[in-house]
Amino acid sequence: MFPDSPRLWQRRQFLQLSGLSSIGLLLGGCGLVGSDIIGKSFEPLNQSVEALLLNPQKLVPEFPASAIEPNALIINTFDITPDIDVKAFRLIIDGEVNRPLNLSLEQLQIMPLSVMTIRHVCVEGWAAIVQWGGVRLRDLVALAQPKANARYIYFKSADGYYESWDMPSALHPQTLMVYQKNGNPLSVENGAPLRVASPIKLGYKQSKWVTRITLVSELLPEKGYWEDQGYEWFGGL
Amino acid sequence: MDSSAPSKKSRSKPLPTQATGAKLFHWLNIISLVMMIGSGLQIYNSNPVFGGRGGWQFPPIFLLGGWLAGGRHWHFAAMWLFALNLFWYGVYIFITRRWQHRFLGYNDLKALQNSQNQKRKNYSWHRLAYTAIIPVLMLALLSGMGMYKPAQFHWIVDLFGSWQALRVVHFISVPTVIIFALIHSLLGLKVGGLRLIQSIFR
Repeated sequence: MFPDSPRLWQRRQFLQLSGLSSIGLLLGGCGLVGSDIIGKSFEPLNQSVEALLLNPQKLVPEFPASAIEPNALIINTFDITPDIDVKAFRLIIDGEVNRPLNLSLEQLQIMPLSVMTIRHVCVEGWAAIVQWGGVRLRDLVALAQPKANARYIYFKSADGYYESWDMPSALHPQTLMVYQKNGNPLSVENGAPLRVASPIKLGYKQSKWVTRITLVSELLPEKGYWEDQGYEWFGGL
Repeated sequence: MDSSAPSKKSRSKPLPTQATGAKLFHWLNIISLVMMIGSGLQIYNSNPVFGGRGGWQFPPIFLLGGWLAGGRHWHFAAMWLFALNLFWYGVYIFITRRWQHRFLGYNDLKALQNSQNQKRKNYSWHRLAYTAIIPVLMLALLSGMGMYKPAQFHWIVDLFGSWQALRVVHFISVPTVIIFALIHSLLGLKVGGLRLIQSIFR
């Protein structure tokens, strides 16, 4: 981790010199290289704890509508804001399912509407209380009749963003495919016509502009846009 | 590593004997805290608690992880060392009954109020300082758990009132711990000299 420095220093001198700040400096210096190793070493442990903490049936307490923070939700986008023709929009559900689906927004809006007021938590540290309205993902998955070997679910977005989730989180009753925000139709910046919303995952797991949902039995080498850059995959809350 | 052996450099009195459990706790705690603070400030910088995106950021010299993802990797790795070290130390002081005779007691409070003996008073101040940090470390852990898993531990967020309050408390633990470390060192120096400081880290 410290490519050439230790040989130049006697251990005693090194120990004498390293107060709090110099340890911090050395660790900072090897931070970028080391953080990949650290991440890969501890992610399996942390992920199993996260999965263990998740109760797939337990509802996360919701907030009253008066708690909504209309201006707190910051717009984060990795690249472009896609221009989607709502009339031509289709949500495709395929992969390990017996009945692949191709749904229009009207068809989605006929399905039972779920509305929840939850805390949206961003990996950056901020949070916003938002009300989302849409269809339970578990209802959509059930409609597509998943095969028994479906263990993960991929979301593909119109802007090229992609994400993958574990099935228990995807089937959580508060994981929704939403087309409403704070009682109004979803805006394009927030992911219209259709995006993922859930209180149990970090913001980067909640894809906007979703056009395709694919059930798979194994994770692909591409796990998600930010995950492939080095972020944690599970991203549970 | 025998703490009772005289040091090679000086022929002065041998160092005070420190229990292995106490020494181990100090080493692991200081190492884990350096990692937690460095990576914590790295995470802080991606959205400062004070001022949001436009807020003041910590310079790279204090940071660990290189970027947000790396900072999080370090933070959620070092948290195990920090939390388990604190937990086992709690078990240790409970089993050995150190909590009864090594931490702040009624005697110390009485001495601080009434004693004319400055040495006795310094001793009590020192015990007050290092006893007070235990709840601060526990608060850092609790607020951190609330921020790490706010859906599963929603009651922790509720306990602090709001998300911002939770973030502030978690962040404030950083300067608190640093100031404490300084006071603890200075009072240790006052009570037992450099020999006392050396004895806990050998």
